[in-house]
Amino acid sequence: MRLAMSSTTRTALTAVLVCLAYLLGAKVGEQLRFLPLTTSVLWPPNAILTATLLLTAPQRWPLYLLAALPAHLIVQFGVGRPTALVLALFVTNCTEALLAAGAVRRFGDGRRFDTLRDVAIFVMYAVLAAPFLSSFADAAVVSLFNAEPYWLVWRTRFFSNTLTELMLVPAIVMAVTRLLPWMRNAAPLRRLEGALLAVAPLAVGMVAFGPAFERIAALREPGTQFAFLLPVLFWAAVRFGPGGFSMTLLVTTLVAIWAGAQGRGVFSAMPPAQSVLALQIYLSVTAIPLLCLAAVIEERRRAQAALAERLRFEELLAQLSGSFVHIAASGTDAAFGTWLRELGLFLEVDRLVVYRFPRHSDDVRSVYSWIRPGVAASPALMTNEAFPWMRAELAAERTVAIGRIDDAPPEAARDVHMMRTRGARSTLVLPLVAGGEVLGCLAFVMFTTDRAWPPELIQRLRLVAEVFASALAQKDADEAIRASEALKSAILASLTSGVAVLDHSGRVVTVNASWLRFRDDPAAWAAQAEVGESYVEACRRAAGAGRAQAAEAVELVGAVLAGSLPTFTLEYSGGEPVASWYTISVVPLPGRDGGGAVVAHADTTDVKRAEIDAQRIRQELAHSARVFTMGELTASLAHELNQPLAGIRTNAQAAQRFLDATPPHYGEIRSILSDIVEDDKRAADVINRLRELMRKGEPEVARVDVNDVIRGVIKLVSSDAIIRGVDITSDLAAGPLIVLGDRVQLQQVVLNLLLNAMEAMVDRTRAQRVVVVRTRPDSRGVEVVIEDTGPGLAPGAEEMIFEPFYTTKSSGMGMGLSIARSILQAHGGSIRARSNPRRGAIFHFLLPAAGVSVP
Amino acid sequence: MTEPEATVIVVDDDASVRRGLERLLRAAGYRAETYGSAEEFLARPPIVGPCCLVLDVRMPGQGGLDLYQTLTKRGEYIPAVFITGHGDIPTVVRAMKAGAVDFLAKPFDDDELLDAVHQGLNGRLRRQPG
Repeated sequence: MRLAMSSTTRTALTAVLVCLAYLLGAKVGEQLRFLPLTTSVLWPPNAILTATLLLTAPQRWPLYLLAALPAHLIVQFGVGRPTALVLALFVTNCTEALLAAGAVRRFGDGRRFDTLRDVAIFVMYAVLAAPFLSSFADAAVVSLFNAEPYWLVWRTRFFSNTLTELMLVPAIVMAVTRLLPWMRNAAPLRRLEGALLAVAPLAVGMVAFGPAFERIAALREPGTQFAFLLPVLFWAAVRFGPGGFSMTLLVTTLVAIWAGAQGRGVFSAMPPAQSVLALQIYLSVTAIPLLCLAAVIEERRRAQAALAERLRFEELLAQLSGSFVHIAASGTDAAFGTWLRELGLFLEVDRLVVYRFPRHSDDVRSVYSWIRPGVAASPALMTNEAFPWMRAELAAERTVAIGRIDDAPPEAARDVHMMRTRGARSTLVLPLVAGGEVLGCLAFVMFTTDRAWPPELIQRLRLVAEVFASALAQKDADEAIRASEALKSAILASLTSGVAVLDHSGRVVTVNASWLRFRDDPAAWAAQAEVGESYVEACRRAAGAGRAQAAEAVELVGAVLAGSLPTFTLEYSGGEPVASWYTISVVPLPGRDGGGAVVAHADTTDVKRAEIDAQRIRQELAHSARVFTMGELTASLAHELNQPLAGIRTNAQAAQRFLDATPPHYGEIRSILSDIVEDDKRAADVINRLRELMRKGEPEVARVDVNDVIRGVIKLVSSDAIIRGVDITSDLAAGPLIVLGDRVQLQQVVLNLLLNAMEAMVDRTRAQRVVVVRTRPDSRGVEVVIEDTGPGLAPGAEEMIFEPFYTTKSSGMGMGLSIARSILQAHGGSIRARSNPRRGAIFHFLLPAAGVSVP
Repeated sequence: MTEPEATVIVVDDDASVRRGLERLLRAAGYRAETYGSAEEFLARPPIVGPCCLVLDVRMPGQGGLDLYQTLTKRGEYIPAVFITGHGDIPTVVRAMKAGAVDFLAKPFDDDELLDAVHQGLNGRLRRQPG
């Protein structure tokens, strides 16, 4: 049972207890006097005071000594002593207790009798020195007041006090500090043994000093009687340590003194005073080595127990580390649960908590915790605000050990306050550090008692912290991997492209759902490989079945796997009667085991069809635009045709007239016929050019001389230029400018630009209507510049004019320039327009020279 | 051979047409002179004697109508027959207003041209200028 007591109540109760104990001790002491001597043969009060002082804090000593005063006065006045003597005796008694307790506390622990050193210090100062010295004063006082022989008083008091110190102080101190826990924790057999030991001195006393003593002469020998008592004391010393020995000694002494008083004492042959003295000396001399022996045995036993405990702890730690070494991520939680409990039970702490410090937040999360069954405590909660000092210490990878709240450093005031409000009395917190990062902490908390955290323990628990930290780090890593895996699977599953992952040998390791959908499409030969099958082999089979490009795929996939090709994309088509198109992209996959590759397979049929449709529409549009342009040119084309036709007819009719002449002018007729042939060729030329431009069909890519194209177009529009009164000047590069392209489409571009230029100059005077066409080789290809002297471009229209349906003319669709641009782009070229700062507009277009591409 | 020694001057930028007309006019008994452009014609010395012009309307540089107006402004009222490969109504109207003898669209028949030239030389102008 634990009583919650304020320290004042506790002090008051102790004082009362001291008073009562002193009273009882003094009463007993008074009974054991050999009258008329004032000094008792056994005087417990001094030993009681010594024990009190050893058990209490020095600042309270005056209080407890004063508490004993009433008891002293009651007893002393009870036997009718003068007041001065009574007070003087109290002073000498207190002096002895102060000397004994002061020295023992100064040189030793004061509350322990379980090491030889502590026992030696106790014997030296409390048992010998203090009674020895104080007895001088006591003897002086007594001999002064009662005129008793000084040395007799000194001797009686010294030996009686030596014996009482020896038997009472360890007994009281051990009873107060150890008896209750011992009784609570000892095994039943041990308790039984304790009980037997308690009654043994009585039983032996009955035998040795009882009626048997009268009958058996041998028992009257002092040595024989002690032979009975000694084993009991020895038993106590060996089995129950200094505490047990001290208590047994107390009982034995009482029995011996009782026997002495009955005249059956050990030394009953002597006069009573002599006999008591002999008994005192005998007991003291026997007790001191036995007490030392008890201490040594206790020390050894404790050392063994500590060693065993340490071994058990080491074993526990070994098991703990062992079980965390090969743990699967899924078992981490269970392992933490188990081991927190094991550690908690072993170390007898009240609560164990593992806190995490998340990387990207200031929160502190309790992830694992254990609480001793039956301990009531607020939920495990640690926050940066509540424990700022602790958090800072942990962040610096330092261990925090607070054995008692009062021992905490002043800078931990806030932390201590929080501990107090939560009812925690003692705590040990170790940082969990892995990879140079503080992942969290391991906190041991005591609610029921204070607790020291010895460095050896902290040292070992650091090991635990290390194991825990690496387990947490491992768990984090596993979770990160799992999350990444999940993300990857989700991405793979969401792709409409089929994806297959190949290992270094080209074997399919895994595929996504979309890949499996291609199974039902026999035309998609590049996506038929199953998991576990060699992808290269599957392609080779397709090649064997006559699939175009499958052999190429075999080679390219092999090259990517071998690392000689970074990546490739291959387009193929298949399917009957409706064609479908597919694209495979293969990228290398670096990694362990020689890496591998990822094959992405997509059905590009829709894209391909859209592309084809767009191309067809573009061609049709270009054709329509050409036809439309022709319509605009009709008048000038008629002129162009009528010219040779007029020549032919006039010449032919002239020839008829020359034929009618006599003689016919054959010379004239001959040159007329040759002119007619030339005119006919001219007419055919015009018609051919026309037909070429009106032609509808697939573009034909060939090597084309841009200069040639321009000359042809200028010829075509020359009549129109005459009609419009426009002067077309050309300044063409000397050599041929060869590009790859479709002649008709390029003519269309030039034609369009020339017609636009001519139309732009309608409002100019005749002399100002000039179009200049220039060509020159450019570093990027072939540049063509067409300049007019029209009004130029509206500001900001430089880009817009190439948009479809942009027009400034009342007639026209506004498609010309847009089509020109798309033709040039299809040829890998570009076009731009700007206003000439002086006058008119300038159009540049650029075509890549054959074999060179324009960026 | 109704009007011997009359001169017919052809101005046309098309060489073949020019040569054909020269031959036709020669076969019809005229003295024919041909020029490739208005500028070339204007460079020749003034004409003496009966004369008729056959002018192409559309030519690089100065066209037939402009040339005719230039001559008119200089006070040289020479009958002119206009020919063109591109006969649009506004041009015809302009040519007739300017005092053209006739306006022929290429290609034309020999008789049409010779009739027109004949009319021009005989002073049967459709309309007196001014």
